[in-house]
Amino acid sequence: MDTLINVAHGFGVALQPVNLIYCFIGVFIGTLVGVLPGIGPISAMSLLLPITLSGTPESGIIMMAGIYYGSMYGGSTTSILVNIPGEAASVVTCIDGHQMAKQGRAGPALGISAFGSFIAGTFALVALMLVAPKLASVAIAFGPAEYFSLMVLGLVVLTFLTQGSMPKALLMACIGVVLGVIGLDSITAQPRLTFGRIELIDGIGLVPVVMGLFGVAEVLLNTEQIIKRDIINTKITHLLPSKADWKASAGPMSRGTIMGFLLGILPGGGAVISSFASYALEKRLSKTPERFGNGAIEGVAGPEAANNAAAGGAFIPLMTLGIPPNVVMALLLGAFVIHGLQPGPLMITQNPGLFWGIVASMYIGNLMLLVLNLPMIGMWVQLLKLPYNILFPLIILFTIIGVYCSSNNVFDVYVMIAFGIIGYFMRKLGYEPAPLVLAFVLGPMLENNLRKSLILSQGNLMTFIERPISAACLLLAVVLLVAPLLPSLRQKRELVALDEEA
Amino acid sequence: MSDQSNVNFRLNNSELWGGLIGLALGGFVIWSGLKLKLGTINDPGAGFVLFYTGILICLFAAAIIIAALTEGGPTFGSRWENTRWTKPVIIIACLIAFAFSLNTFGFLLSSIPLMVLLLRLVDPVRWQLTIPIALLVPLGMWWILKRLLLIQLPSGIFEIG
Repeated sequence: MDTLINVAHGFGVALQPVNLIYCFIGVFIGTLVGVLPGIGPISAMSLLLPITLSGTPESGIIMMAGIYYGSMYGGSTTSILVNIPGEAASVVTCIDGHQMAKQGRAGPALGISAFGSFIAGTFALVALMLVAPKLASVAIAFGPAEYFSLMVLGLVVLTFLTQGSMPKALLMACIGVVLGVIGLDSITAQPRLTFGRIELIDGIGLVPVVMGLFGVAEVLLNTEQIIKRDIINTKITHLLPSKADWKASAGPMSRGTIMGFLLGILPGGGAVISSFASYALEKRLSKTPERFGNGAIEGVAGPEAANNAAAGGAFIPLMTLGIPPNVVMALLLGAFVIHGLQPGPLMITQNPGLFWGIVASMYIGNLMLLVLNLPMIGMWVQLLKLPYNILFPLIILFTIIGVYCSSNNVFDVYVMIAFGIIGYFMRKLGYEPAPLVLAFVLGPMLENNLRKSLILSQGNLMTFIERPISAACLLLAVVLLVAPLLPSLRQKRELVALDEEA
Repeated sequence: MSDQSNVNFRLNNSELWGGLIGLALGGFVIWSGLKLKLGTINDPGAGFVLFYTGILICLFAAAIIIAALTEGGPTFGSRWENTRWTKPVIIIACLIAFAFSLNTFGFLLSSIPLMVLLLRLVDPVRWQLTIPIALLVPLGMWWILKRLLLIQLPSGIFEIG
């Protein structure tokens, strides 16, 4: 009953005209960046982070969340019609989605992808609504040792799942921690690594770092290649899937939804991993696995449901523990912090309007996305024809303006340009920026909780082992760190990384 | 990455240099941590986390270096093989020039040439499109920010903008 009252309260917040407008802007931009290859939700969210300052916290976060789950919808359109993933979570959709389009079945592929996304997104929200408050009440008992161990686990999971070399990913995570602690020490107020620059006393801003590493570096990498687009030019019809399509897709959709949601909750997991896992599962379960890769609708329905469910699941650790499980959620945490809010176990009770308003807005956003992605598909197809030689300079200009507006400080523009150049070389040398950004956000929290634990336990390191939740997290982290050394697991990890690269 | 399998020691092995840069960075972080004071285990100081993170950086960098020496790795040249590497170089040069000119000349006088350069030098856009885009987009953004959002962009020594 309490849940229903809370949901009603949430709808009261989400249905306010201003929040509806922000929600629409969010899902629209999300679809837009999902459709356009080369710009992902991270770049778009970092670009729009300063805009959230102009409204209420509810409006800003509703918009940011909309960009994230909206991009999951939009990404599939490009995968199916152009065979280029609009964003990373839609890579798998290219395999069978584009084959379906080539066989004249672009309509059902787009249709099942949109309906699958809608069903999975709605399921994830119901689960979020039911699980989050319960988890938050458990999380109140968490002490600094548990938080520290959970953050260590999150970073290790992300580095484990990052493509390529694990030492490189771990190195990136450590550098992220160092960058995160630049500025005044929270306990002794000593300036650290500021090099005498007054601008660094408050630390390096999240916006210039993310915009540089993801926005500018992405443009630099994209301009290296000639992007060829093989757009399906036939008229898109039969967007509503047939009975046979529904029958074939029901199982993959349900499995993808549950798997995606569970993987989304895990720190370091998320939409990309869940879509790959769902595809692999469906292929294994299929009586005719040879159809996969040749236009099997199950290969579209499962992964699309999985990545949308994961997008919903990822909100749970952020909202209940205050720990972002991936980079997108780290940005969302940035939006909360900008507004002076700290997501965590107390947020649901102290700010019910905010939490339930965001959840309710996601229901509304999912409905908006269904309308945006099916009847308006023609508009998105036209957008795919926008030339990149105009788009990329515009993105660079918008990132510069976005960074400047976030702090009114030219120094942040320099920081962004520097991180853009560093990010480009990092990617070229095989160093992924995702662990760095997550560690950058978690770094100060990680340090604070470690020092608090040591002070409270009077320097007893066993405090991390004696507390069961902390011990379980650390044990899992150690297993993941040791696992790549075992030949069979190493092979499997490399296989996933290769798949992602493909 | 044609010569990835080459195990012979090569100075232009990009993995080796990546590891060495990591090692140098780790060393600097350890030194910074020591300088800030480590404190004790009962009462960790400002340099405590930096020091131990620096040690981890050195360890991971050493692992990368060992892998580069034992397994080989791609050369710098192969990383940029079959790519239009001059394009990112042009953009980087434009961005650095922009960074230097932003405070001196202000947002408008810096961003209009930046747009012209990016539109013309990377994948040339026709002049008929370049001029209006390079003029109207920065002007439009400046107008929105200054008039609607009341955000003052840098105006430079000429106080334009």
